[in-house]
Amino acid sequence: MTHFLPRLIAGATRTLSTDLGCTGCVALAVFLASCSTIPPARDEGGLVEGLPRYSLVFIIHGDGDYLYHDTLGNARTADKEVLSKAQAIAERNPDTEVFIFHEIERGHVLFLFPRHDGRAYYYRNGRLLAQKSYWRDQGESRFEPEVRLYEQFTGVQSRPPLRLFFYFGHELPEFNGAGYDASYAKRRVTIHDLAAGVRGIASASGKIDLLVLATCFGGTPYTIGALAPYARYIVASPDNLHLSYFDLEPLESLDVGSDDAEVADFADRFARHAFERLASEVQTAVSVVVYDVNDVGAFLESVADVYDRTLAAANGMSPVSVEHCDCADDSTYALPGMSEGLTILYRAPRFGRMKNEQSHSGWECWRIAD
Amino acid sequence: MFTRIALRLIVMIGALGCAGVALGQDRVHNYFNDTALKVKATESPVEKRVILSKSLGDMTQVIDAVKRAPLTSEQDDINLDRVRATLQEKSDELAGTNGFDPVPDDQLNAFSTYIVQDMEQADKTITVSLVVALLVVIIIILLV
Repeated sequence: MTHFLPRLIAGATRTLSTDLGCTGCVALAVFLASCSTIPPARDEGGLVEGLPRYSLVFIIHGDGDYLYHDTLGNARTADKEVLSKAQAIAERNPDTEVFIFHEIERGHVLFLFPRHDGRAYYYRNGRLLAQKSYWRDQGESRFEPEVRLYEQFTGVQSRPPLRLFFYFGHELPEFNGAGYDASYAKRRVTIHDLAAGVRGIASASGKIDLLVLATCFGGTPYTIGALAPYARYIVASPDNLHLSYFDLEPLESLDVGSDDAEVADFADRFARHAFERLASEVQTAVSVVVYDVNDVGAFLESVADVYDRTLAAANGMSPVSVEHCDCADDSTYALPGMSEGLTILYRAPRFGRMKNEQSHSGWECWRIAD
Repeated sequence: MFTRIALRLIVMIGALGCAGVALGQDRVHNYFNDTALKVKATESPVEKRVILSKSLGDMTQVIDAVKRAPLTSEQDDINLDRVRATLQEKSDELAGTNGFDPVPDDQLNAFSTYIVQDMEQADKTITVSLVVALLVVIIIILLV
């Protein structure tokens, strides 16, 4: 009964669904153009048709507190900023397919009728082919709505040779997870939910070539371990990350091959660009790390048990009793091979108690207060 | 007059439901951003320190006032304590107490930015109840 009324209203409410993924649907496209949100077609002569070289998937979490201020003091909303940049990237890259899933706060029309709380965009060859509003609570798992839409948009088309995945949002909990979505206070969301979503998107096409996790404290053995089965390279921030996130400029004109060396080089360039941009703009800590999944496996395996025990102890404790710390501060984790497979870019905060910490191990852990 | 303003605010913000929580959080972010703008607008290091010290002190008072309200939950108090501790640490660093070296005069602008940005991280949001968010908004307006 809880979901009957929203579904009834949704069915009676005009949606923005304009899925044009099938070929041979030109007549339908023309009919829908007058009442859809698809922009006018661009100059065909300037576009590169056919199988795109790159596939980019953006999941942008906006169901929470994402207000920040730029260096001039202007208020900005982090999820809307990323959405705008992702759309610009989609429009500027003619040999790319781009999927954007923007998760927003669940609002109401006239304080009574719930509004869709997810917006999906599908671009191919620089054009917006589909735009759809959806519900984020209509799947058995947290990211199932996005995975279903992704499958709907891609249909039976071959996957491009180079695949990138981006998640923007607050720190994904490793335990508990209640309250992550402001609109669904009772729902628990953890890193395993995102990992399941990535698995659904990676599916039978193999690992994601580069996975970018733009959240605070994403570079932990547990989080990287959860994502490692589905990605070749991961870029994440083991420490705090300002809400201006990682700059996406390197994506504006993609020219990367799919062999390992080129993917590794691009991951490195992306990370360095993000680091330099953040270091020039923020006074807080800046940490950007590239994790080569092939080379971090041994370390992850060696610390998995102890980390699991720490999580089990932390779960159920008061939040004031647990805090993040550099894994190198704990001798249990300071093992040979700890830095294997890592490219670590770190700058200490300009103020605060950590301002004199000149390095970071690249791995973030939990510390439980005595 | 303040009572009328407070009551009108309660009715208005309460009607927004969960949006009131976002309003409360945004109000705090904007409060410190306004402080940073004032600091950068003045040339005098003495005046900069006064602005920063007052700003941190006033927000600490807001949190103390909210905690005294009978409607806050135990979890609210825990979260408010975390914010209070963060603010206290910044006050200590500004003044050079509690193990900190005082912030040099030529870094006061950067320090004001640091306070803003430290509140704007992509870590787990400090979740407070709607009641606390509303109280924060109201008390900021009335006291600060």
